[in-house]
Amino acid sequence: MTALTSRFGAARRLAVARQPRPARETEERGIISAADRRNRRTRWTLGFFHAATLAFLLVAGLGPILWMLKAAVTPTQDTLRAPMALWPNGIDLGQLATAWSRTHIDRYLVNTVIIAAGSWAAQLTVATSAGYALSVLRPRFGGVITGLVIATLFVPPIVLLVPLYLTVVDVPLVHLRLIDNYWAIWLPAGASAVNVVLVKRFFDNLPREIFDAARVDGAGPFRLFTSIVLPMSRPILGVASVFAVIATWKDYLWPLLVIRNPNLQPLSVRLPTLQPTTDLGVFIAALTLSSVFPIALFLLFQRLFLRGGGLSGAIKG
Amino acid sequence: MDPEPILLQARGPLRSGVAADGDDGAARMSTIAEPVPVADQARARRRARVRVSRDGLGAFLFLLPLLAVFGLFAWFPIIRAVVMSVQETNLVSVPTFVGLANFGRVLADPQLGIAVRNTAWFAFLALVFGYPVPIVLAVLMSEVRKGRGLYSALAYLPVVVPPVVSVLLWRFFYDASPHGVFNSALGWVGLGPLPWLQSGDTAMPSIVIESTWANAGATVIIYLAALVAVPPELYDAADVDGASVWQKIRHVTLPQLRGVLLVTLILQLIATAQLFTEPLLFTSGGPNNATLTVLLLIYRYAFQNSLGGEYGMAAALSLMLAAFLAIFTAIYYRLTRGWSTSS
Amino acid sequence: MHKRTTGRWSAIGSIVGLVALIAACSPVASPSSPSAAAPSSATNPSAAAQAPVTISVGVLRPGATQEAVDALNLQISEFEAKYPWITVQPEEYNWTAPTFTAALAAGTLPDVFTIPFTDGKGLIAQHQIVNIDSRVKALGYADKFNKNVVVNGEDASGAIWAVPIAAYGMSLTYNRTLFTQAGLNADQPPTTWDEVRAAAKTIAQKTGVAGYAEMATENTGGWQLTTFTYALGGRMETAGADGKVTATLDNPATKAALEKLKAMRWDDKSMGSTFDYAWGTINQAFAAGQVGMFTGGSDLYTAMVQNNSLKPADYGVTTIPLVGSDAGVLGGGTLAAVNVITRDEQRDAAVKWIDFYYLQKLLTQEGAVADAKALKANNQPVGVPALPIFDKATYDASQQWIKDYINVPTAQMTGFTSKIFDQPLVTEPVAHTQELYAALDPVVQAVLTDKNADIDALLKKADQRVQAILDAG
Repeated sequence: MTALTSRFGAARRLAVARQPRPARETEERGIISAADRRNRRTRWTLGFFHAATLAFLLVAGLGPILWMLKAAVTPTQDTLRAPMALWPNGIDLGQLATAWSRTHIDRYLVNTVIIAAGSWAAQLTVATSAGYALSVLRPRFGGVITGLVIATLFVPPIVLLVPLYLTVVDVPLVHLRLIDNYWAIWLPAGASAVNVVLVKRFFDNLPREIFDAARVDGAGPFRLFTSIVLPMSRPILGVASVFAVIATWKDYLWPLLVIRNPNLQPLSVRLPTLQPTTDLGVFIAALTLSSVFPIALFLLFQRLFLRGGGLSGAIKG
Repeated sequence: MDPEPILLQARGPLRSGVAADGDDGAARMSTIAEPVPVADQARARRRARVRVSRDGLGAFLFLLPLLAVFGLFAWFPIIRAVVMSVQETNLVSVPTFVGLANFGRVLADPQLGIAVRNTAWFAFLALVFGYPVPIVLAVLMSEVRKGRGLYSALAYLPVVVPPVVSVLLWRFFYDASPHGVFNSALGWVGLGPLPWLQSGDTAMPSIVIESTWANAGATVIIYLAALVAVPPELYDAADVDGASVWQKIRHVTLPQLRGVLLVTLILQLIATAQLFTEPLLFTSGGPNNATLTVLLLIYRYAFQNSLGGEYGMAAALSLMLAAFLAIFTAIYYRLTRGWSTSS
Repeated sequence: MHKRTTGRWSAIGSIVGLVALIAACSPVASPSSPSAAAPSSATNPSAAAQAPVTISVGVLRPGATQEAVDALNLQISEFEAKYPWITVQPEEYNWTAPTFTAALAAGTLPDVFTIPFTDGKGLIAQHQIVNIDSRVKALGYADKFNKNVVVNGEDASGAIWAVPIAAYGMSLTYNRTLFTQAGLNADQPPTTWDEVRAAAKTIAQKTGVAGYAEMATENTGGWQLTTFTYALGGRMETAGADGKVTATLDNPATKAALEKLKAMRWDDKSMGSTFDYAWGTINQAFAAGQVGMFTGGSDLYTAMVQNNSLKPADYGVTTIPLVGSDAGVLGGGTLAAVNVITRDEQRDAAVKWIDFYYLQKLLTQEGAVADAKALKANNQPVGVPALPIFDKATYDASQQWIKDYINVPTAQMTGFTSKIFDQPLVTEPVAHTQELYAALDPVVQAVLTDKNADIDALLKKADQRVQAILDAG
């Protein structure tokens, strides 16, 4: 993360430190210069490459999803016999309805949303409160805590799997059993070092004189947090939120282990269980219905995803 | 007004990180318009320290959520993992201390060798196939002037599809009969049906292809952001030198991306070492353990035996994996420190 | 832009909040909780004195049809009518090796759950189920159990900890429709392995689907390979006089079995192109008409109707061809056990449930008819052949009682029912059974996916592996 930020920071500083560029070109240039683009042959070659890239993205990127949409409304026998054909015997919209009612997608969708909301709240609560304390309040033992938090980044999640499972089965000190309880997902989700580090770094960059001014005015740490710091944190909260939601959708193994009651399971856990006993066409329809929500979310909030999601891809791998 | 250039003056030499931890708060406080004289800075520092200790209680209260959550669900389990690795436990009887026996049993297990080999094989395939794809796409996309948003959205769409949905969908694509989806498509161009997930030779490559499809988009976006930040003067200079497109890519673009490329490389390697969901849902580690990864082996130790798992062995293998990754990352950073141009 | 994003965020936030609120407020119901009201025709005189107790029972698999759920609810209400102080909560349940152990560790198994014969003694040794010996004996028929069957749920002293509720023998399930399409006689299924191989080849050639399929994952590969081995006269484990168990995975019968599979797979190419079947997925493929024959339990009809929309006319079952004097049919079964985290009253109720739901239909005419009526009313299979848990006479009687309700095509099952009772039944390997099966899965997978698989080497490695497990105790 450090290397990444420093790369951008250095580049930006370098650019700023030089002479400001003439306002003639408002777009940055890449490998191909604006002058080159005026050349017809370059334009044609470039156009060809762009078309090829677009075609590739459509076929390889969009293709499987489009196929899934097609197969969701194709009867099973057609899908099995001629998977690449386009509705040889007509469309079966009823299959979507069957998937919805028979496999109770709505219930699992609601579960997934609830889990995502809770994880999001847990992560943001821990990250903002801890980030604030470590960055603004800066207690004496702050460095130790930060170190311990960063240390968890180096521990691969698998190490935690079994002991965390045992912890959730019987939480020490309070002797609670969190199995089949969404807190078993929400609380460990809150222990996200990445979010804490991100938020703390963001707070570190906030101008300090605003805090000084507030304190001179007599604001205690709580007022400072709620009235000053939080409102200024919108950008980082947006990024952290995208992390949180994406992580929940991707989560499979942990909910599989801790949520045994099928009524409480999220989609990711439920779908593989249903496969052996569900008709193929209905199953693909169920897969489609499960993808509608995240895809719709993505299309709505594209910019946020592409900005924050890119970083999350780097962190989560 | 951009405060950054002023920051340069007030702070002195550039630091490589953004905010180093445990720093003296006062040095960062000076973002005011004029450089602060030394005496004032010292006074500010003393005031800051006094303020800090009075905020001690508030800080503790604010840290309570983190301490509780990390304490119970991160730090305690890590310690517990270490303890479990030297115990034999099946959750019913009292755990017995067995020293390093678990580690010994894991190392003696032939499945471990298979798992390590498979994981390395996957890492290699992912490197050769999955690593260049986003770079190529990003470079091609960075030259698009109109509608780059469409390209980005298309590239990122597979990342948005829930992983379980992707795997289940692709498992159907990989049906090995001649009427399977991919085999039908291959049939159009006259290529024979492939066994895909049904053969030890093709199972892992099949997983790599799906994994690339599902994850490349995120990396493309990162690279795009980095490509956009390449200083245009460098390209101008290259043009003046009469460089061709390919030469520009080789000598300007890629070197400028070096830092990002190295980071994504290590992140990809760490992620591939923890491959689990795909082999589990695609093949359960088969056929004949051809897709058994280290993580899947840990899962098998812990959860596969219907009469109670070998939790000690699972913990032992987890720790060994963690140690390996830590050492690997350290070596990696050591080696590549000289390669990426540091600020 | 900033304002628009905020607006969208608040919109999505309020929608999420609303959805969460609605979901939190609406009761999370189990898939099929029957209504509480029970008619007051309780015959039990002490009913009034009993404190109410609730037990959870694991019965139906995920994805069961609504009719199967309705049939279960009907039977639950009959039970609750008989024992008004007991409330039964049905839960989805499916035993597979990986999920069972996680549920066991987490303590989330239902109060009454089922396990295969192979795990009975292991769970008893670990005290993870309840000793219900006295309660079972109080039912009055504990000594009528078939000795070979009940031993799987007994501890060393002969006390019953888990009750056998079903016994099955391995069989050869075949698709009658595919037989007919391939020009074979569906009423004359193969009786030798050569005939099996020929039929598989014909089906593959004439219809294009797999003529013969074999399970290979989730321990079922080892399970079916052991079945095949028994049919050819071999054994996977031998127990010495001193109690020490030796692994004999590389016996000639197993080798011969793998050679036969190899020939069908690579020479005849009659096994299709999918080789990672488990219990659930092979049923699914069979019901979808993609598999001609496979070895499996003799009681699959029920599961395939409830979960895979099987067309009854497709189903045919016959015995597995036995070769040689040592050959036998692998017998397995299911035990019902009571979770160790239950209270005393729950354990009493649990045993009553086991008695009512699983055993009454085998012992009393009243119970058999009630069970058959409930099932038939919801189009569930009645009369699927099984192996006796008690003795053959009791089994025959129970089939007689439900004669008028049988709705399964028993004529299509005569290949099995006419011969099975004359064939020797062999119990599954006793020690570390599931781990033995798990060690054989990769062997079966290798033979089916690698043309050059070295059968001897694979068996030797598996043998060493299992021997190490046996030696470790």
